[in-house]
Parts: sequence; C-alpha cells; structure tokens
Amino acid sequence: MSPSRRRALVLCPGRGSYARDSLGSLQGVDSPALDTFDALRRSLGRPTVRELDAAESFRGSLHAAGEHASSLTAAASLADLEALDPDKIEVVAVCGNSMGWYTALAFAGALSLEDGARLVETMGSYQAREEHGVVGGQLVYPLVDGRWRPDPALLGAVGAAVAAIPDLYWSIRLGGQAVLGGSTEALAAAQEALPALERGAHRYPLRLPLHSAFHTPLLAPTAARAGRELAGLGWRAPRLPLVDGRGAEWRPLTADPAALRDYTLGHQVTEPFDFTAMLRTALGAYAPDLVVLPGPGSSLGGAVGQVLVELGWQGLRSKDAFVRRQTDPERGPVLAAMRWPDQRGVVARSA
Amino acid sequence: MAVNRASIVDQNFQDAIAATPEAAAPAHPEAPLRPGSGLTGRRALAILESVVATRHLDLEARELKARNEGFYTIASAGHELNAVVADCSRPTDPAFLHYRSGGFFVHRASQVPGSTPLLDVLLGTVASSDEPMAGGRHKVFGSLALAVPPQTSTIASHLPKAVGAAFTIARRKRLGLTGPGGDDGIVICSFGDASSNHSTACGAFNLAALADHQNLPCPVLFVCEDNGLGISVRTPQGWVESRFRNDPGIKYFGCDGLDLVDAWETARAAVAYVRSTRRPTLLHLRLVRLLGHAGSDVEQLYRSSGEIETDEAQDPVLATARALITGGFASRQQVLELYRETRARVAALGREVVTRPRIESAEEVMAPLAPRDPDAIAAEATRPPEAEARAAFWGRLPEEERPRHMAMLINRGLGDLLVKYPEAILFGEDVARKGGVYHVTADLQKRAGVGRVFNSPLDETSILGMALGSAQMGLLPLPEIQYLAYLHNAVDQLRGEAGSQSFFSQGQVRNPMVVRIAGLAYQKGFGGHFHNDNGVAALLEIPGLVVACPSNGPDAVGMMRSLVAAARLHGQVGVVLEPIALYMTKGLHDDDDGRWLFDYPGPEHHVPIGSARLWTAQDYAVEGGPAVDPEALLDAAPELTIVSFANGLWMSLRVAEQLRRQGRTVEVLDIRWLKPLPEAALLAAAGRSGRVLVVDECRRNSGVADAILALYAELDTPPRLSRITGYDTYIPLGDAANLVLIQEDDILDAAERLLEVE
Repeated sequence: MSPSRRRALVLCPGRGSYARDSLGSLQGVDSPALDTFDALRRSLGRPTVRELDAAESFRGSLHAAGEHASSLTAAASLADLEALDPDKIEVVAVCGNSMGWYTALAFAGALSLEDGARLVETMGSYQAREEHGVVGGQLVYPLVDGRWRPDPALLGAVGAAVAAIPDLYWSIRLGGQAVLGGSTEALAAAQEALPALERGAHRYPLRLPLHSAFHTPLLAPTAARAGRELAGLGWRAPRLPLVDGRGAEWRPLTADPAALRDYTLGHQVTEPFDFTAMLRTALGAYAPDLVVLPGPGSSLGGAVGQVLVELGWQGLRSKDAFVRRQTDPERGPVLAAMRWPDQRGVVARSA
Repeated sequence: MAVNRASIVDQNFQDAIAATPEAAAPAHPEAPLRPGSGLTGRRALAILESVVATRHLDLEARELKARNEGFYTIASAGHELNAVVADCSRPTDPAFLHYRSGGFFVHRASQVPGSTPLLDVLLGTVASSDEPMAGGRHKVFGSLALAVPPQTSTIASHLPKAVGAAFTIARRKRLGLTGPGGDDGIVICSFGDASSNHSTACGAFNLAALADHQNLPCPVLFVCEDNGLGISVRTPQGWVESRFRNDPGIKYFGCDGLDLVDAWETARAAVAYVRSTRRPTLLHLRLVRLLGHAGSDVEQLYRSSGEIETDEAQDPVLATARALITGGFASRQQVLELYRETRARVAALGREVVTRPRIESAEEVMAPLAPRDPDAIAAEATRPPEAEARAAFWGRLPEEERPRHMAMLINRGLGDLLVKYPEAILFGEDVARKGGVYHVTADLQKRAGVGRVFNSPLDETSILGMALGSAQMGLLPLPEIQYLAYLHNAVDQLRGEAGSQSFFSQGQVRNPMVVRIAGLAYQKGFGGHFHNDNGVAALLEIPGLVVACPSNGPDAVGMMRSLVAAARLHGQVGVVLEPIALYMTKGLHDDDDGRWLFDYPGPEHHVPIGSARLWTAQDYAVEGGPAVDPEALLDAAPELTIVSFANGLWMSLRVAEQLRRQGRTVEVLDIRWLKPLPEAALLAAAGRSGRVLVVDECRRNSGVADAILALYAELDTPPRLSRITGYDTYIPLGDAANLVLIQEDDILDAAERLLEVE
C-alpha cells in the first residue's frame, strides 16, 4: 500500500453506459464478474454478456433493451473495478447512478457477486418485451446552459411541467440534467410543453428509447414483484461505505441489511433518484481526490463535472476549469473514466 | 510549553482500544448494549460513528489552527454523547444548540439523507463563504434541513427564544396555522453548566415554568451539558442538580453523560416525557471537558495535571467504543479502522476546505443585514387587508371615524395588521384587557381573540424571547415594550439574537418582528426617568435594525405597515419608538386647534423606510394667521431648515410658526426614521437653505444628532450648523424634567442665532 495513493469514490454508471462504440470491449477480458454474469445468463437461457459484446454490429433493439443493457453495463463495470490498483487508489466510498446502484451493491459487498448479478438480471428482465415490457418511459432535459451554468428558466419549465402534467414525475436529478419519467401520454405532453433546445448533437427534450419510468410511482408493481421474486438474495452490510440515491450513507459497521433491501427494492425503484444529492453527499462525507467511473461508457462524466462545479470541489468553479483539470499533468484528472486508457491508467493496474 | 492534550487524548484512544478485551463471541446487532436497555448494538454503533467523527472534527480544527488556516477551536470533546439527544428526538424538532453540541449536530445529520456535517463544520472552521449556513461569518452549528437554527450561544442568550418557540407550537395550532416542527414537535436547547447561571437563562427557565404553572403547553427540553467548568471557574459540586431537581415548573432528568446507556436511556425518557406531557423538562448530562476551553486556553494554569488526566481517562468516545467491543458488537480492529477511516476523511476534508473561498468585501459581510427591496415592501405594505374580514373586525371602519390622536390611530393600525396577517400576534405587559397603559391596544384582544393578543410576564427578556421564538416558528410577533427604560435589561435579545440571526444565516433563518416601544420624554405631570427615558443609542448601534420614530398618527400607521411588510418579505427586525407625550396630543399651536388629530390613513398609505417628511409653512401655519403665499414659497429658498423628529418635531413646528410671523422662511424636516436616516432628504434640505438646526430631544451623548451632524460635516461645503439636544442625564421627576430637556425657547434662540450667522 502506497502512502501517496489517492482517495477514490467509485461511481457505477446506469445502463446507458454500454453503447455502440462499446462493442467488443469485453473480448479477451479475464474477469470473475463476467464469468458470473455469463454463467447466470446461460442458466437462464439468455445470450451471455460476452456473446452480446461479440456481435458484429450494435443493434439498439438488442443491446439497448433492458434485459441486456443492464447486464452489459453492470458486468463491464464490475470487470473494470476488478482492475483497480490498491497501490494507486484507496476506494473510500461507492455509489451508482440508477441501476448502477445494483453494481455498487455488488462491488461494495452488500451482495455477493452472484446475488448482484441476479438482482441486475431480474430487474432487467422485467423490461423484456415478453415480460411486462417497458413501463412508460423517460426523457432528458437540460437544466444548465452550454457552460454548465444553472438556468433557472429551464428548472422552472421542468417544475411547471411536472406540476401540470398527470403521471409525469422527476425520475433522476442528474447534475445539470433532469430525467423525467412518466406514462407515454405524459411524456408526449412534456415534449410539447418543454421548450425545444439544442445542445451539441442532441435535441431536447430527448426521449430515452426502451427505458421504463424507473424511479417513479409507475414502477410500484415492478417493485412489488421484485420484493417477491428476489426474496432469496443474501443481503449483508457492505465492506465499503455506500451512498444511495437520496444521499443516505450505508456504512460497514452500521448498515442494516434488511433496510438496505427495502430501500433497494422499494424507494429506489419508485421514488426520484437524486444523483446530485448522492454525489454531493459522497464528496462532502468522503472527500475523494477523484471519482472513478467504471464501465464501457463515459456519458455520466458530464453530470459528475456539473456537480463538482456546482460545489466548487477542489476549486473547480466552471466547466472550463473542469475540462482543464482533466488533463492537468501534475494533479491528474478529478474524474477517471476507465474507458479512456490514460484515465484508466491513473487508477488501474497496467494491462 | 503547554502539553498538547489533543495528541494525548488521540493517542490514549488508540492505545486503550488496542488493549480492550474482546467478547468471547460476537453479539447480534439488534441485541441490547446492556441487558434490559432499549439501545441496540447497531444503534450504539451509529452513535459511535457520530462521536468519533465529532472528535476528529475537533482534532482537525487544532490542525487547521496550527497551520494558521482555521479560526475556531472550541471543541465538543468530552461532550460528544449529547448525540443521544439527537438519537432520541426527531430530526424535525427544532434544536438551538450551543457550541459544544457537535455530537448532536453530527448525529442528527446522520438521520437526514444528503447531509454533509463534516464538510460543513470544517467550512465554518476555516470561515469559508461556502459554509452553507453562516457563509463564513461565524463558526456555527446550523442547518435548515436539520431544524438547527444557527447559534453562537456564548451566554445562553438563545434560551428565551427556545422557550418562545416551544410556547408557540400549541398557540400556532390554536390559530389554525402550521410551521416548523409540526404540532407534536418539541424544542431542544443546549447550554453549559456555567451559563445556566446567566440571568437570561434564568429568565427562560422562569418563563417556561410560568407557562407550565398556567397549564400552557411549553414542550421545551433544556439540555444542560455540565462539564463542571466555565472556562477556568469551577461550578460548585452538585449545583446544577441542586438548582433544578426540585424546580416546581421544570421536570428534572439527570444522568452520567459519559456512559452511553445511561445517557441514552435518560435522554429517551426525557424526550418521551416532554413530548407526551408538553411540559418543560431539563436533561442534565454530567460530563467532562477535554482539550481545554479552546485551543488558546492553557488549562494547566488553573487545573492540575491530575485533574486533567482524570477527565481524560473518562473520555466518552473511548468508553463508548470499549462498551461496544466488550459487548461483542465490534472488534478492536473494526473500531480502530473506523477511527482511522474517519480521521483520514476529516483530514481530506480539511485539505478541501482550505481551497474554498472566503468573504472578500465588507459589502459581502453585510449583505444579509438589510436585504430590503423598497418596491416589494411598498407593494406589500399597501396591499389591503381582506375587506370582509376587516368589516367584521371593526364594524365601523377606522377611516370613517373622525380625526383621532396618535394613540388611537396606532390602535387602528395594529388592528388592521391583525386582520391582514392571521399569523400576527400582539403581546406585552398590560396590553390585553387593560389595552396598554396608554390604551394603545385597547379592545384589540376583544376583537382578535385571546390567542392573538395577550399579556406577557413582567420581563422584557421573556417578551423578546417570545418574539424570537414565535417568529422562528412561523408567526409574526408584534411585541410591546412598555417603556424604553425597560428595554435595556433585555436589549441583548435584539442586539445579540434578533438582529444577528439573518447575519449568521445569510437570511435563511429569520425572526421577523416589529417591536413597539413607548418612550421619550415630555409627559406632563408624570414620569421620572423610567417613564421618560430618552436614551436611544442602544437601538441605533444594532446592525441591520430599523428604528421608526413617528411624530404623528398617520406616519405611525404608515411606518408600521412598511416595517411589517419588510418583516414578512425580508425577515426585517423593526422597532417603532413611540413618543408617549404625543400619544394623546390633539393640538399643535394651541390645545384646541385639532391640528394634531388626523384622519386614519386608508390601506393605500405607507411610509417608505428611511423617508423623511418636509413641513413647509403651508403645512404648519396657524389658520387665520398671516397668509401664506404658496407661489412665494415656491420661489423663495428657505432661510433655515430645522431637522427633528417626535416631540422635537412638534415643538419645532411651533417655533417655525413664530419665525414665520417674524418674516422668516423655515422648513422643518421630520426625519421619521432614526435608522436608516433619510440621508438624501437631509442633504437636499440643507442644500436649499444652507442653514440647518438639528433639534434632538435625546441625550447629547450618543443621541440622534451625532450622525446627522457628521453627515453634514463631511460635505465639501457643509451648511451652517447648529444643534440643540437634551442633557446627558437621567430625567428627574416633576417640572425639573424641563430643566434637562429642550424647550421651545431653546429652539427659537438657536434658530435666531443661526439665522444671524453670515
């Protein structure tokens, strides 16, 4: 253990992490996590993660479907985390965005790898078309301008839409973005109500295809079903501190496994997921030197940067400062997205 | 050189844990920590986490100070188990904490997701403007989300408002209103053994007991954290228990605040008692003070090493950890890992906070003091009360009455405020059935009800404490101080508490109120000093306070409307200093001319804060006297400006008329607001005449005139200036009062002299 190792917050991404350019990224990776997911999926008669990853082309209807995308993301994230180098970093706390919470539970030891995989598989399977299918949907809308400065008018528009449109809810407070969940009708109304915006390559409001309205009351039946079907999971106190989507901490000495189960299969599914509060709390409680983002994607990096800038964490008070810091040769990046080799090298063992 | 006790306490903990025998077998986390106790191992471990974190905050504060990066080292060390009170209460119960209640603060935060108490406390320690409550203005325990208003609480001055807040819970419900803490909340306030002797604290204990004696619910939990020392002064052995155990109005619970199970069980019982009975309760935690009074305190100067080491051996964080290890709820290794991990994150946070910004300008410091928006205040002040409610309240509307004197118009103005703001309450000595000693509040109790207009005990600290507490609980208090002379025993409630709350919370925690104070001299045939006090310096020096001093009824009503609007909108604390001698005055130039009786100003009327009123000859000339030519007045520059307020204004108008009859043109400027002064109007008036006589009926030393003269004196071309004031003395009884107060002849002489100056 090196005395100079950096304090790291692990942030497990949600299922949007595995995308078109992720294809093939798991090939040749030797990982107990991948093995565990693949064994489970094989036993369930589903294509393995490695098989999905080996496809010749990325098909949204396959790779982005709930029953596969969740497993791809979780397995890939856990495989990345296996590569963390304890001589370079000390993981001081763990959190996860949306379904990344399941990954976080497994990584922090609140569930065994097997039970973590079962949780991911089960929750994902509920979104398979032959099951209940997708319930409602989600859309994304920005709350900041192009330089990550909060725009009260955008927040006001979102608040007004949620207040006015039946069955439309806050799903995720995601740094500089709002993720809204609701019924198909509610989302259509929201798309009408929210002023159209362009940011980079995207037009907003942006519908997320094949996503259920997670973290809203519409998922109450899903939560109830999960409670029944996942009764056999072996919940434990985590070996590393966890911070959840309310900003509540679950600590090794004091976490109550039954309460952790109830939160994960209840509140976490049906109530808004406050990514911003989660990250703010994790930073303010554990003072990490950097945030580690495992998994095949890095799209969550913007939301991380927005929260860091909002807090002025480590003196970062603008988007420009954050971007500069990411390539600061002396201090190193404040966000290490493991998909990028240079940032991976900061936290992981050499290949 | 002083021994570093922080290092010793720190090392002692680690050595003692390493030597603590472990239980033969692990215990179930839901098992009681001690047989028969309701405190489970898991809950005790959560408390351990909080108290270890609190300890490391104290150790880190010393480190930051040593590096010259931190500014506050008063520690919670030895007191950490006040965390049990947080554990046994609800996070929504308002808690007014003193500066050693870090354990409570950190533990309550652990119950509210999204809290970052370690970061927040350290941001306060380094006085960063990022600190979320005080913004670097002080190191406080304070958080809106945790229902902890920020306190500095060095002298127990927060106890009266805690009692006021507790009293308000039931009163608020009775008025059909809701607010912080809910209807079954309790109010918690902590303080030390030494400050329990403070007369402010004693007033609060008395107020709570007095309420209880009258069967009025007052669910306040006083938490006396008794470490036996007030800086270097020992509290006599057994004093706190002896003082409170048999207090008829306050239920006493005492315990060993160094023993987790005893402290937790007792706190639980005390909280349950106060919540269920709604009666004042005192929880006496006997504990020790570790790490001295503050980082700068060399404890060895007044305590022996043996005494210090005896206390250190009773370290409650260590005792708690040992109980958990020997009970089988944690291993030595787990506790040491918790200690190490917490130290590491607190140290990392210490490195983070020193990168954060600090306050950089005087403007930034003062921004929370007076955040007034004049347009918004005007709109709110002139928003009419609901017409039907008003008609029901008054029967015949005040503006339909004949012209009335100031006392009556204030009465009508207060009534309208009670109609307009259902959350407004009015209280003070004799204000209810008697209607006040000058009948200013006559019939208001009958009209608004006993729940909203009521008599207070005869204690100004209690009156203002009630105002503070009720305001923080969502009401709009309109307290009355019967005489200005009575304010002074309680002025810290305005100065140290009411005035500072917005400052220490960046406006997040407010105590909006308008305090009416009857004062100033010139009562004919009544008085002596205590009823004629004219010392106003104690009010004028309070940062952010607004002080109104009307000379007539319509102004008084309009000024109250502005102050109440500012209170409602911005949390403003305002004072109306009402000149008693003008309450019943009817005439100006003679008793029968009716010139000081006025129509009640309709709801559209208000007097903007800091605005003066100019009286020209047209306004004050005797009817039927020598004609006033309005055209000539417009053309001719005045030869003299008399600047005054209250009784001085009334006398100055009479003198101005005498001068007018001598052919002089005189304007009289009523400043109306003693703070903030109407500076623009003062400068404009001086610019017109070039001669200014300031008539300040208050004392010569630290009166109102000083600031006005300074304003003029600092001009490049000051006007010709003169002032007359009262003498620096208490006011004697009877006609002798006139020997030390300004008389009209004095004003006339001074005016004539000034008019002769080239």
